[in-house]
Amino acid sequence: MALLEVEGLVKHFVAERSLFGRALAHVKAVDGVSFSLEARKTLALVGESGCGKSTVSRLVLRLIEPDAGIIRFEGRDLLSLDAGALRAFRREAQIIFQDPYASLNPRMTVGQILAEPLALHDLVPPARRRERVEEILRLVGLEPRLARRYPHEFSGGQRQRIAIARALAVEPKLIICDEPVSALDVSIRSQILNLLRELQDRLGLAYIFVSHDLAVVKHIADHVAVMNLGQIVETAAADALFAAPRHPYSRALLSAIPVPKPRAKRSRIVLQGEIPSALNPPPGCRFHTRCPYVVDRCRSEMPKLVPDGIGHATACHRTSELPSSAAIVPTDGGFSPVLEKLVAAFSGGPEAVRGSGVSSLGTDPA
Amino acid sequence: MSAAPLIEIKDLRIRFHGDDGRVTHAVDSVDLSVANGATLGLVGESGCGKSVTSLAIMGLLPKQGAEISGAIRFDGFDLLKTSDKTLRDLRGNRLAMIFQEPMTSLNPSFTIGDQIVETILRHRGGSRRSARERAIELLRRVHIPSPERRIDEYPHKLSGGMRQRVMIAMALACDPRLLIADEPTTALDVTLQAQILELMRELKAASGAAIILITHDLGVVAEVCDEVAVMYAGEIVERAPVDELFSAPQHPYTVGLLGSIPRLDHRAGQLATIEGMVPNMAQPPAGCRFAARCPFVLDACTRAPPPLVEVSPGHLSRCIRAPLERLVS
Repeated sequence: MALLEVEGLVKHFVAERSLFGRALAHVKAVDGVSFSLEARKTLALVGESGCGKSTVSRLVLRLIEPDAGIIRFEGRDLLSLDAGALRAFRREAQIIFQDPYASLNPRMTVGQILAEPLALHDLVPPARRRERVEEILRLVGLEPRLARRYPHEFSGGQRQRIAIARALAVEPKLIICDEPVSALDVSIRSQILNLLRELQDRLGLAYIFVSHDLAVVKHIADHVAVMNLGQIVETAAADALFAAPRHPYSRALLSAIPVPKPRAKRSRIVLQGEIPSALNPPPGCRFHTRCPYVVDRCRSEMPKLVPDGIGHATACHRTSELPSSAAIVPTDGGFSPVLEKLVAAFSGGPEAVRGSGVSSLGTDPA
Repeated sequence: MSAAPLIEIKDLRIRFHGDDGRVTHAVDSVDLSVANGATLGLVGESGCGKSVTSLAIMGLLPKQGAEISGAIRFDGFDLLKTSDKTLRDLRGNRLAMIFQEPMTSLNPSFTIGDQIVETILRHRGGSRRSARERAIELLRRVHIPSPERRIDEYPHKLSGGMRQRVMIAMALACDPRLLIADEPTTALDVTLQAQILELMRELKAASGAAIILITHDLGVVAEVCDEVAVMYAGEIVERAPVDELFSAPQHPYTVGLLGSIPRLDHRAGQLATIEGMVPNMAQPPAGCRFAARCPFVLDACTRAPPPLVEVSPGHLSRCIRAPLERLVS
């Protein structure tokens, strides 16, 4: 049984009301989204700003209520839960946000921030809470003595660690990571990504990873769902998607990722035009206004998400007619042999550096 | 580079004097030059001094509290010694800049047309009508659909990608010789980023302007730059032609940065991380500023500041262990 199953999820926000409160216009933020997530796995939701990926993540936690659809967590129907049961569910599923500055209370010490969920859910007797807080801090790579400090005394990366620690405090099975590394510098970003993977292995967590950064997604996800204007247009195992994206929108997204290699060979699809408004999405396929392969049928008939039987589903009328996806993700986007070795040496890997002074100052064992 | 550079920065140092008497060394002995028509990438993480350097070029640092020394030669002027009036004539004219957040750089109470026209009239003169025609032409050049209509819209009506294109149009209004782009695509989605980068390449080819691209994204650097300067804690730690930098970087910090990027070509178990913290720039360390975080550190690194030396033609590194290939072969 899947940990989380979502079927036909719909959420429309009212964008404009008449004088008497009647809804005049809706933003179709999420429009019929279905997916499932196994325990201990990572599903990435990707897409551009406004595609509905963050709304899906909030719906799954019932932070906002869907208009239609089914959400099952370990087989239980989440939408039928009463307040008490919902509270119990919140122990099982947690969320971390993009901006750790905004998601930590500046007037509480880190120790208080981490002890609060323990008290709320009555997880640990008061006498043992301090001990547990120290344990959680160590888990996310922070020193226990930092529990007495306030959030403003930490750097961005450390604050994100605190936010992760708070999510872990209730020992959840699922953590929703909403753009958790987008606000961080490159070198800090890699620390947090490593930490998230390590915690997943150690604690058996499942993640829903919401991101617009596809290289990060490639690194962390087992499955990927690509969203455009409130709908999933393609879903597949991460390896399969990056090897051979099928939907023209996925192809455009993947082909736009800058790779750290000058003159990498690739066929780039630069989309023309603007992202249409979710207030008034185009009829037919919602991607047709920007699609380089558009035909008449796309303008009138909405394509369904059709699975291919081996775990790869695409919502495009022209799936079988599209040109080969070779070179969309550059195959030669890798490092030179010298750089490969240098990076390994920098990380203190097996091919450690020659020369003196290195062994004494190697990186911390993770 | 054989031809005389368009802009040449010599020994630029910038210190900020805080209210509490603390002095922060934001930029130290930076030497840079960009040739006509070339694109230089200025790379580094938050607080490394890359944006402060660009603000110094534009003469936009506060008079109070910022102590600047060195020389910035551009087009026959030393920008650090010219009068405010001359600087105002240069800015928006031969020197232009675009910022990360287009919404905060556009005036919300004027139409985009007004704002572009104002720039043209200020520097080029001529009639309002001809300036407006030029503004429409500029909007067309940056691929804004139906520019005749869009020109009368206010910034809030435009999407993020469109606003950034308006900023570029405005920067290009007077055919600048040098365009400074500070994280121009950081706030944009990947597909829009691809459009804007494509546009910058196109415009550079058409106008022959030089570009200084400030970014933390090495992928973007690989795509558009000819040369790269990597900054760390206020100093340039490595400078190289773009191919060289990515195939054989010569500073451990660059290696760490490259290793920390998630890869598309294979799924690495662990990404490289740079342990530790950036040094406190009120009291920069005596030796190499990266030493405390460097896995290749030697005792000698912490004793004296390493000089920026040429490792191979055109490739400079501020590391006494360079060439780094020796460490792994």
